[in-house]
Amino acid sequence: MIKLIFTNLTQRPTRTAVSILAVALGVALVLVSVGLSYGALNDSAERTRQMGDVMVQPSNASFLQVLNSGNFAVRIGTVLEKVDGVAAVTPVLSKFLAEAFHLIYGIDTESFLKVNEIFQILEGRMFEGAEEVVVDTNYAHAQKVGVGDQINILGTLYTVTGIFKEGIGARVLLPLVTLQEKNGTPDKCTMFFIRVRDDATIDEVYEELKVRTKGYKITKTAELQELLAANTPVFRQFITAVVTLSSVISFLMILLAMYTTITERTREIGILKSLGASKAYIIKLILQESLLICGLGVLVGYGLTFVTLQIVVATFPNLKVDISEAWRVGAALMAVGAGIFGALYPALKAAQLDPIKALGYE
Amino acid sequence: MSNTIEIRQRQNLLQVDDLRMVYKVGRVDVPALRGVEMRVKEGEFLAIMGPSGCGKSTLLHLLGGLIQPTTGRVSIEGVDISKVSDAVRTRIRRDKVGFVFQRFNLLPSLTARDNIDLARTIRGIGSAAQNGSDAERILDLLGLRNKMHHRPSELSGGEQQRVAIARAIINRPKILLADEPTGNLDSENSMMVLEMLQELNVKYKQTIILITHDPEVASNAGRIIEMRDGLILNRVENLYYAVEQSRLT
Repeated sequence: MIKLIFTNLTQRPTRTAVSILAVALGVALVLVSVGLSYGALNDSAERTRQMGDVMVQPSNASFLQVLNSGNFAVRIGTVLEKVDGVAAVTPVLSKFLAEAFHLIYGIDTESFLKVNEIFQILEGRMFEGAEEVVVDTNYAHAQKVGVGDQINILGTLYTVTGIFKEGIGARVLLPLVTLQEKNGTPDKCTMFFIRVRDDATIDEVYEELKVRTKGYKITKTAELQELLAANTPVFRQFITAVVTLSSVISFLMILLAMYTTITERTREIGILKSLGASKAYIIKLILQESLLICGLGVLVGYGLTFVTLQIVVATFPNLKVDISEAWRVGAALMAVGAGIFGALYPALKAAQLDPIKALGYE
Repeated sequence: MSNTIEIRQRQNLLQVDDLRMVYKVGRVDVPALRGVEMRVKEGEFLAIMGPSGCGKSTLLHLLGGLIQPTTGRVSIEGVDISKVSDAVRTRIRRDKVGFVFQRFNLLPSLTARDNIDLARTIRGIGSAAQNGSDAERILDLLGLRNKMHHRPSELSGGEQQRVAIARAIINRPKILLADEPTGNLDSENSMMVLEMLQELNVKYKQTIILITHDPEVASNAGRIIEMRDGLILNRVENLYYAVEQSRLT
């Protein structure tokens, strides 16, 4: 049976290739979309997580920093510092640069360095003046910016004084006061990051903060990744839409390919029936052929995803990709499922063929 | 002559009683068979002769369980295949019947060996290696060993029909049904195919039912049935057949 399946596929190489490509496109569409979406989300969550152990925001704030404005009074920080177990607190004003499509952070250097012990300037120095900024390695590489160069932020030129190791906060850091002025929100920030004295007491500090700062949004940064995925507006709907679209494309392509195959091979099915092939044998034959197409489609899809993401990341170095094993398997199962359902109707139709009519088919 | 007598004494392998088949063409009923009665004994070589449209192909398809009659019985070894389910009829066809068609009906994507092998695979017997060697043996017997890796398009008509015969008999069916097996062949290849069928019948006691409109082809059979307008007109014992049998044995 395997030989028959292989020869059927090799006999019609163009259609086989198109079917494989259609399934591959479905798989690649899912994996590229999911990879880039989760990549951006997880990268943001991870960089935020590195900012501190706990994040404090106004009650109506979103986990998605892009959506938040700077309306949180900086002086609240003094209240937070007094909570038992808190080692350091730093205010951060975040702003999303739509044109550059990334966040910038306005920070208070002194408190920031207390909270972020792993922050590391690799080249140059931390900013000191109002019109100085530091950028991370990813930004420096992507924008081809070095120490001493100037970058334009919101219409003002800033001098890059240092390059820090990527993975903490935003890609560009500038003085809190500078960004407050630029934003028109003096003495305001977007959120606070807190470092606890002892990692083992994070839960206790978190509970204490909840009691002491009723009405504020307190988040353990370690949970941010899950919270972001669950609470980001339209994220799940987007992923669901992409997966559904890909499944439908794969399903329709397999349906079309197998239906055409059955029509073309009507006579061959008649021959199989005359040899005593049962309905189950014919259904199995067609389903296995479809599964083989889907299997090859999945492999090509993986390759296509790899190539596409290589191109995307080379073109936009700021973008991060994160494809979990579960999604790889999920995309494969989606393709296989679409293949089975797409081939089912043609398979049942073939099994029901009248052998005499099938043998007489031209 | 002794062989003919021997066949007469054998049990019926195939029994057809009052077989009727009516096709619906639009709203019109077109009768193809109008009450056929027939008995075929094991080891017989029977030719069904008649002009186009007389119902001989329909009769062959009914004998092989490819279609169901409107009324009547077709029994193979006592089992009425017109009354059983589609699945059972398929199994009987797979286990007891071999078909040879005028248009050869080989799968174009498979080689000669794989085409023969396929019949074994569908029946679900033997390992791939065993099936392969059986296929090779039978191709050897039919003088096609050097063509076993050729696809049907690379074979002549005669060679294709020999492969089709090999495929039909690889599972050692009780009955071999041949539908105008020489219809698409030149006289030389026709002769070769007919000799092959005779040899199968005589040497291996293969029961063969052959349909043809050609009296010369029919003359190779032990018994000839003539059909017209969906009915059997007469039955003729072929005396020449006994002579041929002794020649082959």
